[in-house]
Amino acid sequence: MKDASVVKDTLVDGGPKAPARRGPPRPDGGAEAARRRKRLTTLTRPWLLLAPSLVVLAGLLLWPLIQVGKLSLQDYEVKFGGGVGTFTGFDHYSDLLTGELLWKTVLPNTVFFAVACVGLTVALGTLVALLLNRLGPTWRLICSIAILAAWAMPAVTGTYVWIWLFQPQDGMASQLAGSLGLIDPETTNWFTERGPFYAIATLNVIHHGFPFVAITVLAGLMTIPKELYEAGELDGANAWQRFWNITVPTIKPVFLVVTILSTIWDFKVFTQIYLMPGGDGSNPDVYNLGVYSYIEAFAKNDYGAGAAAAVLLTVLLLIITVVYIRTLFRQGEEEL
Amino acid sequence: MKRRVTAAVSIAMSLGLTATACGGDDGDEGGKATDGKGKTLTVWIMEGTNPDARPFFKEAGEAFEKKTGAKIKVEYQQWATAQKKFTTAIEGGPDQVPDVAEVGTTWVPQFARTDALIDVTDEVKKSGLGDDLVEGLKDAGTLDGKQYGMPWYAGVRSLVYRKDLFAKHDIKPPTTWQELRTAAKTLKEKEPNLVAFPVAGGAEMFAAPFVWGAGGELATESGGKWKSGINSPEAVKGIEFYTDLATKDKVSPAKVSTWTEKEVGEAWNKSQIGMAIGGNWTPKAIVDKNPSLKGKLGAVPIPGQNGGMSKSFLGGSYLSTFDTDKKDLAWEFVKMLTTGEFAAKWAEQTNYFPGQNSELKKIAAKKDPLVEPFAKQMLEAGATVPKTKAYGEIQASKVIPRMVQSILTGKSSVQEAADKAAKDMDAIFAKDN
Repeated sequence: MKDASVVKDTLVDGGPKAPARRGPPRPDGGAEAARRRKRLTTLTRPWLLLAPSLVVLAGLLLWPLIQVGKLSLQDYEVKFGGGVGTFTGFDHYSDLLTGELLWKTVLPNTVFFAVACVGLTVALGTLVALLLNRLGPTWRLICSIAILAAWAMPAVTGTYVWIWLFQPQDGMASQLAGSLGLIDPETTNWFTERGPFYAIATLNVIHHGFPFVAITVLAGLMTIPKELYEAGELDGANAWQRFWNITVPTIKPVFLVVTILSTIWDFKVFTQIYLMPGGDGSNPDVYNLGVYSYIEAFAKNDYGAGAAAAVLLTVLLLIITVVYIRTLFRQGEEEL
Repeated sequence: MKRRVTAAVSIAMSLGLTATACGGDDGDEGGKATDGKGKTLTVWIMEGTNPDARPFFKEAGEAFEKKTGAKIKVEYQQWATAQKKFTTAIEGGPDQVPDVAEVGTTWVPQFARTDALIDVTDEVKKSGLGDDLVEGLKDAGTLDGKQYGMPWYAGVRSLVYRKDLFAKHDIKPPTTWQELRTAAKTLKEKEPNLVAFPVAGGAEMFAAPFVWGAGGELATESGGKWKSGINSPEAVKGIEFYTDLATKDKVSPAKVSTWTEKEVGEAWNKSQIGMAIGGNWTPKAIVDKNPSLKGKLGAVPIPGQNGGMSKSFLGGSYLSTFDTDKKDLAWEFVKMLTTGEFAAKWAEQTNYFPGQNSELKKIAAKKDPLVEPFAKQMLEAGATVPKTKAYGEIQASKVIPRMVQSILTGKSSVQEAADKAAKDMDAIFAKDN
């Protein structure tokens, strides 16, 4: 932080003159005014420089966010040339929070699914990164391209592939399980029960999400100096110990980033659930917050209730992210 | 005053149109050509009804330009996303809505309520078109006596079956529910690899005929308020018969419980179906994709409980005009497409039924065994879903599929599921009343 302010001062003062100004202030008014002007510039310049991106962010994120918040307090009716909102206070929130569906179905589905997906995505991604790190250049290239293909696949396409694989009776997984005698393909439909439904969705999300983690962690791994591992080996640390005592602490910020991003993505999964058989609302057991919000807003045209669910999701994500960042930074400070 | 003048012009123009159609007389066009010169109508048409709609609209556009001097610009929309696109455009106002659009009959109540659609009741009367419209279809787009557009084409679902397999195993096309059940059980026994009769959990319009056939209603209106009828004793009896086919008679395996009509269509394409509810557009669609079934398909109206017919959903599309500054010109285009030559051509290309009695009768007169049963169903046993914005929301939030699926998976009994569905429906009706 200190370095930064020095740099800023230098920039503001225009370099060479800076040392002169650092002397004790002369008691005349001119210098006082100059100093005030300088302080003003120091204060405004960073904001001036940040302004373009702040304006864009406010337009693209903050404004819609405020609108959604406003909408969640209204009953909104679409009208030709602009709808009409009636203020209803916190009715939508109280309906949402007192409903059985939220506590028994929607929230548990959302939370458990996200926890499972984040944990497994980060674990698998890290393992793949460790593997890539050990490979020679040719194989690393081949493997990277292979996993990037999974990443590049649009969520819609990926979802249909998984649906096909688990298609009851005809899908590959169903036939395999049937021929092993695990299920009776004629009477088993994996999409109608909550557990199997979300197991398939989890596979889909992990498959789509691990390449990002793998590539990011690999980038982190490549920055770790070899000497650390050599020192560890000299001290007799085995691979497991080297991973937890050298790799993890060194690239902790990388893990922080991939975990937070994965948490945000996996909490708001929509496409992968909505496209699965029964996921579009015909099976209420598999609702998650995203689908629930969508059905309220765009199927029932109850935009207020849908917005309330969306706000709830946002608040939930904010809390998780803030808590997570704070814990990690505190740990970081303790270690320093 | 303006309206009357326009109407007069409209009549004059439609006369002119007939004249040209008959004699190719180009002489009387000079005066009216100025009407739409330099203007372009934006037209939204649903993708998929006509396998290739481009040549049709090229021809229609040329004819319209010759008539009025105005051009048309067709934008094709997807059924799956169009409703949301319409809603967004309506919210945006006159600059964003199309001038003319194909509007599904079940969407009409929702759009009309936003004041975006033009009430054309008077224009229809003045043009003398009213008497020739197919009643059920005209009714579907008429709310409180106001008609919001012209019926363009319609479809209805009946029973499609494998003629060859029925002949092979000596099964007769069913005429009662009991016969339907026996036929399905025989098929299941003789052709174990087929889905004898799909009880598709995601297909609302497969279940509805059984509700109507048993004497039930989806919902009833009294004093302007709608109330669900799905858990009435009659409706429950119909739902029970339909779902028992899967849960007791096992003529529909577990995989079908999450199927929608799309998956049933795909199964037809793989020759995996013995008999199923299907639309008048399906036989041709199946044979196009699966030529091995050519000549092997038959159709009968959906049997009634003890003979006769069960009612089936009569759905279709309207061509409606939106409240833009080109609405008079737009109405001319609507009239051109929904009557005479272009209406007949569209029906022929799409295998749907036209919205005019005169054209429909011409089709019925052809005695095509894959068309006639549907025409009979449409004229004698067509039904519409409740005409309210709320019912569109009930459909979109999958109340009926949810009910059927929870019965098929054994999560609830028929009565429990129907009670739950009635509660869900009434909640939506209450919100919108």
